Amino acid sequence: MRRRHTPGPGPAPALGRRAFLAGGLAAAGTVLAGCGPADTVLTDRQRLRQWNLFTGGDGARMVEMHTAYRKQHPGIDFQPSTFQWGNPYYTKFTMGAAGGRAFDIATLHVSRLRGLGVGTLISPVPTDLLAQHGITRDTVFSNIWDKCTIDGELYAIPLDTHLIVTYYNRPVCEEAGVLDSDGELVEINDEDDLFEVCAAVKEVTGQFGVVTDTTHAWRPFWSLYRQLGGELRLEGELGIDDDKALRALDLLRRLSAEGLAPKASDGAATPANFQNGIAGLMLSGNWELPTLKDAGMAFGMRPFPGIYGEELGQGDSHCFVLPVRREPDEDAVAAAVEYAAWMLKNSITWAGGGHIPAYTPVTESQEYADLQPQANYRHAAEDVQFDPQAWFSGSAAQLQADAGAIFTGVHTGAVTPETALDRFKRAAQNLIDTPSPV
Amino acid sequence: MTTATLTTAERPGTPAGPASPQPRRRFKVTPGGAAIAVLALFLAVVWLMPLVWAVLTSLKPEPETTAVPVRWLPLEPTFQAYRTVIAQGELMQWLMNSVIVSVLVTALTLVTCVMAAYAFSKTEFWGRKWLFALFIAGILVPPQALIVPLFDEMTFLGLVDTYWGVALPQVVAPVMIFILKRFFDAIPRDYEEAARIDGAGHLRVLWNVVLPMSVPILAAVGIFTFVQAWNNFLWPFVATTDPALMTVPVGLGTVQSAYGILYAQQMAASVLGALPLIVVFMLFQRQVVRGVTDAGLK
Amino acid sequence: MTLHANTAETPAAAPAPRSSSPPPARGTARRSAAGLWFVLPFTVLFAAFLVWPLIAGLWASFTDRSLAKEESSFVGLANWIEMFGDPAVWQSLWVTLLFTLFTTPPLVAIALAMALLTHRATARIGWFLRFSYFAPFLMPVAVVTLIWEWMYQPGFGMINGLLATVGIPGVSWLTDENTVLLAIAITTVWWTVGFNYLLYLAALQGIPRYVYEAAALDGAGAWRRFTSITLPLLRRTTALIVLLQMVASLKLFDQAYLMTNGSGGPNYAARPIIGYVFETGFTGLRIGYASAISYLFFAVIIIVSVLQLRLFSRKEDAA
Repeated sequence: MRRRHTPGPGPAPALGRRAFLAGGLAAAGTVLAGCGPADTVLTDRQRLRQWNLFTGGDGARMVEMHTAYRKQHPGIDFQPSTFQWGNPYYTKFTMGAAGGRAFDIATLHVSRLRGLGVGTLISPVPTDLLAQHGITRDTVFSNIWDKCTIDGELYAIPLDTHLIVTYYNRPVCEEAGVLDSDGELVEINDEDDLFEVCAAVKEVTGQFGVVTDTTHAWRPFWSLYRQLGGELRLEGELGIDDDKALRALDLLRRLSAEGLAPKASDGAATPANFQNGIAGLMLSGNWELPTLKDAGMAFGMRPFPGIYGEELGQGDSHCFVLPVRREPDEDAVAAAVEYAAWMLKNSITWAGGGHIPAYTPVTESQEYADLQPQANYRHAAEDVQFDPQAWFSGSAAQLQADAGAIFTGVHTGAVTPETALDRFKRAAQNLIDTPSPV
Repeated sequence: MTTATLTTAERPGTPAGPASPQPRRRFKVTPGGAAIAVLALFLAVVWLMPLVWAVLTSLKPEPETTAVPVRWLPLEPTFQAYRTVIAQGELMQWLMNSVIVSVLVTALTLVTCVMAAYAFSKTEFWGRKWLFALFIAGILVPPQALIVPLFDEMTFLGLVDTYWGVALPQVVAPVMIFILKRFFDAIPRDYEEAARIDGAGHLRVLWNVVLPMSVPILAAVGIFTFVQAWNNFLWPFVATTDPALMTVPVGLGTVQSAYGILYAQQMAASVLGALPLIVVFMLFQRQVVRGVTDAGLK
Repeated sequence: MTLHANTAETPAAAPAPRSSSPPPARGTARRSAAGLWFVLPFTVLFAAFLVWPLIAGLWASFTDRSLAKEESSFVGLANWIEMFGDPAVWQSLWVTLLFTLFTTPPLVAIALAMALLTHRATARIGWFLRFSYFAPFLMPVAVVTLIWEWMYQPGFGMINGLLATVGIPGVSWLTDENTVLLAIAITTVWWTVGFNYLLYLAALQGIPRYVYEAAALDGAGAWRRFTSITLPLLRRTTALIVLLQMVASLKLFDQAYLMTNGSGGPNYAARPIIGYVFETGFTGLRIGYASAISYLFFAVIIIVSVLQLRLFSRKEDAA
């Protein structure tokens, strides 16, 4: 709570922001007197600067949680900042962490952990402190906890899991006769099931059976490839199972080629196509849920179809990380860990955005079981398929970007699965050959 | 510090302000004159249109901004967007940061460059020519080529996310020494000699003799540096990641609203962010024009 | 602005070293330490924030220095070899050159037109015209891009709105590979033409009246006075402006980064060389490789400056 700056003798190399701001304020007179930040800056509360990349539905939910957090923590001067999702965020993240004084806690995709300087930019989480707040491997999905652990050290505190799932339009699917006796979408166990269901739905919509983001085909590709038991080795000589990759790509090609899915539908158009009833099924991330709910749509959700086996879906986890600091500040670390623990314990609000909380007391609670349709795909979190490990792999990283750009041609019909696979292999090998910065 | 620099910058145009614009030229009405005026006004309207559009958008209630078809005038004009933006406080802090950084850069540039230019113009010391040549060569180095090693250096020095880290590299503008030296060179030596015979040291000569005669060029350099620092994007963008330290261009360009894009608020923030320099320009147009052309052209 | 103002100075100094400055302190010169003290503050800053990063960058380009690693090791010419074989380097260089070609002619021509239209204007209307043309230049780049992104909006933006009134279907300016760089160029012209305009205005006002009056007495018409007096007298200014402008355009980054949200645009169609440096160094963490590309950029700037200076000085000699 108390963070006392003893102004050292002699000219400090970096004149503190506060001192400067105070001086600037004095010089500028009364122009800004009474305006927000100036008075909070000069108080003695523990400052906690949180960085995140959430906008839209996630952003609104986070703001809701932060409002509650602030109310319960009057001693914390809480300062969240939102940056743009993807590269702009991760660029600021690495630069801020390299500077060592920009933020106290930040959100991250766990798949990016290894590519962002574990140990040099990201500092280990004090697990004893975390345990005091009741967060241990026993209270978090263990597969995600393990993903946050590198060489025996915990580097991230997982907030959720999010993954690609199946959405279905209830009235459409009912008319198509693809709902079971409980009114849920029938199980899809192989390719034939998938094509039959899609064809039946297409009959009803008149346009398409299913829609998926064709500009970001990495997610369905990786889900299918993993269902087939495929592995991807991203070091030295690229290791990929050509037959399995081709089978997964060919399925995507057939969906579009046979008119069951649009040949082109980007990130924004995909939920719109589902919402407009152009397609009755959608394969997409669980984060589309709030938009569709707000639109008042009658829909259900279940895991990504287990076409080649288990219902495995590609996904990731939002987690919190602590930066390596220039000057140690135990108070700030303690506040940051407490904040993260608080967010985990209150993640029932976060679940409203479709994400599956990583904190098991929440996902096992009655309150969560009552959440519909979230509760219907909860178990998918236990076997979420993370991206293969490499510094260039993970959400918004280069491998996904390259795969998206190449595989989109499979949907449009511009390239055959064979050509696409060749190109993907070349792009991946190229990334492997790029000297690693971490 | 604030006031000191600003007043120097403003002093030269004694009866400044738009209220007393001495007509620069008598205008002879020629047959083509009307056509020229019409064309000039047309261009002015085209150039002002985006600004007008921004201001009009900022006065709309949020839902009206995305109405189709596009409407120019707000149906129900409101200052709500401005109130929200000001209440959020971030923009005010960015404006404050911009003032601090720009004043710091301008003051340090004036002090260091005036001293160096004086030394090159009025004194003799070992290595003078060599050093001057080095500085002139420095003019050719584009600051953009330095961002990567400079950031690396700043992390080493611990100056990332500090005002000094943002300001100091911007002070290194050797061209200002070149401009000032040329001006100082033109000051007749007699004045200086006279003062020196009276026993004045270099500091006194600089302060009592050279500076009073150099007000116009100091104003030009000061204004140019200030405008440049105020609007600089790339280096402050690299050197600050903490939103509480960002200047206006960087803050507006990086920090997002957690609620998504709200156009009226964005435009209100834009208008507020652009306002300070625009107002300065309206009040001191002649000085700014001279500052930009003197420093830019010479 | 950064780009403009910073460059503005660069070569401005170069063409004008023939000032009639008296050699300072000739024979009577008192060699003293005073001068050294006077240059010291600037020299320290110059050494710390220009010379040092210049050297450190060169050194880094021979190492695998990374933002995310403490230690780095010498890799010889590996970064440089990788750079010459990296298609993204050449693509971003091409984008930069293309942008320079798009922007330089209008930024010179429109500025000249504006100056010619306004340099005889009366005080009051002159004030308004100068304000209109120059005000955008004073705006922070983020403000400029926010306004233009908003105007380029496909659905409800002003530009497509205007196009719709004349029956032209909507263009997705910033998300179409073929239009994104053009859209950024248009914004840049609007934003920065005011600076060149002021330079031209100053040059025009520096032409003595009697030159025109004499020509008028000789019976030269307005057009003839323009082509045989104004244009030749503006040659030096034009050379200067073209040089400043080309160098400024080659330094493209700010508006391209902001208007593509840091993505470089569809298929990287709007990622300039500085953008690639930024991406490699700060997004990709590879300080060493980014330093090598920085040096390539530096070389391009020097080459263009030198070529142009030679070209223009030759022309001037011929004239």
